[in-house]
Amino acid sequence: MKFSPTRRQLLKGGLAAAAGLAASGIPRPRSAGAAVGEPLCTVLDISRCIGCEQCVEACREQWQETVPDPVEPMPKPFPSRVPIEDWSKKKDVSDRLTPYNWLYVEHLSLTHKGEEVEVNIPRRCMHCLNPPCVDLCPFGASRVEKNGIVRIDPDICLGGAKCRKVCPWHIPQRQSGLGIYLDIMPSYAGNGVMFKCHRCTPLVAQGKLPRCIEVCPEQIQSIGPRDQQVKKAVALAKQKAKADGAGEERWRDYLYGLFENGGTNTIYVSAIPFHEINRALKADRAQWAQESGIKAPRRAKRAALAGRPLMGPVADTMAEVGNLTWALALAPVAGLAAGLGRLAAGKGGRKGGER
Amino acid sequence: MRQEHPYSGPLSHWLYGIGIGLALFTGFGQMPIYKRYYLTDIPGLGWAADFYTTASLHYLAVALVLGLLAWRIGLYLRGVRIRWLWGPGTAWGWILFALLAASGLMKVLRNLGLYLPPPFIVTIDLVHMGSAMALMFTGLGVILSRRRRREKPL
Repeated sequence: MKFSPTRRQLLKGGLAAAAGLAASGIPRPRSAGAAVGEPLCTVLDISRCIGCEQCVEACREQWQETVPDPVEPMPKPFPSRVPIEDWSKKKDVSDRLTPYNWLYVEHLSLTHKGEEVEVNIPRRCMHCLNPPCVDLCPFGASRVEKNGIVRIDPDICLGGAKCRKVCPWHIPQRQSGLGIYLDIMPSYAGNGVMFKCHRCTPLVAQGKLPRCIEVCPEQIQSIGPRDQQVKKAVALAKQKAKADGAGEERWRDYLYGLFENGGTNTIYVSAIPFHEINRALKADRAQWAQESGIKAPRRAKRAALAGRPLMGPVADTMAEVGNLTWALALAPVAGLAAGLGRLAAGKGGRKGGER
Repeated sequence: MRQEHPYSGPLSHWLYGIGIGLALFTGFGQMPIYKRYYLTDIPGLGWAADFYTTASLHYLAVALVLGLLAWRIGLYLRGVRIRWLWGPGTAWGWILFALLAASGLMKVLRNLGLYLPPPFIVTIDLVHMGSAMALMFTGLGVILSRRRRREKPL
């Protein structure tokens, strides 16, 4: 089944990871600019990903225990339509995003140019440049750090899941029954805490690498200052496009994350155009929905996509709101001009207005 | 309703009411409560479940209110003295508007992608929400006490 892939724990992988890190061609965050608060960007060459899931294991080992178990029994939300989302009994789930699993590997089989190919894609938060989860969180629980890391403060989050709704990839996942909402009005407001990848914030702050990068036996991922990383990703995408026979000018098809949602600090590079990968992902979700046994098609579709983001084009979600800033800026100017100008001197004018 | 000047008549009064009402509705709609409490199930209110729509409408409503208040200030600066039937009429009202405007400006800048320290964001979010709630309750108090409103509008 697609979402229960066989993990290929390769001995070679473990040894290569240790050797690779010792030789360390990967730039350290501190030396790469983290210390001065420069945005850090990761580039993932997924054509090199062997799907061993060592990154997933390392992430889980490092962070799963930081997510507390919920209180028992959980407060019953009012009204009853509010769902309790409890993953505490399903901590072993690693084939999708959950509050206890912030990274998973998508294992895809697709046909490219008549050949069956396998693609493995580590998926986690994209760490957007202007994240809607941060902009639209009503309590400031979701935040972006100076180094570009987007994280959720579990001490403030009420678990309303708005961040998941506004995220183009619906990344954050809710665990009910824990967090500050328990101390306020547990049945009537809030519903837990949202969790997602924080790109190993505490480790990066110490100048260390995020765990998923550190343990990768194939070193598919690198981290460094955004400008450098973007150049690197574009150059790599041009190579991939050329090698695929599409021509260098088609390099954008081989990149994902550089332009999506106005830009992110996670850039995927692939040997196969991302529209083909997304088509395969959609087909996979459709098949999952069909096999899920969920009768209502819309519910089945939602379940298939939950915690398993697609890789389609994503417009800048904050663009419309951003454009309306002009209205906010111009309205007082126009109002003041109207008050001071001809409108005030018209009917009823200055003289008539005086008491 | 007493009308002392053509400018303070029903048009500006209604525009202000619509602006404030929409700003409060879409502002509180930034909390995920409307869907939870069935408000978005009311025919015609489905849009209130979409946070991008409510955010855009919030901007437009605030632009309307800012435009009206700026117009009023412009008239004042021209020497036009009017007893307004709408808008802040007391120091308390103007303080609330100033708090809303200052915290709102910070939120707008953040929405444009400007980096603000996370603790500062939490503070401005709470100030914005707190002053909006204070404005709403004060306004409701004034509306419910019509006599008081006639004497001195908020």
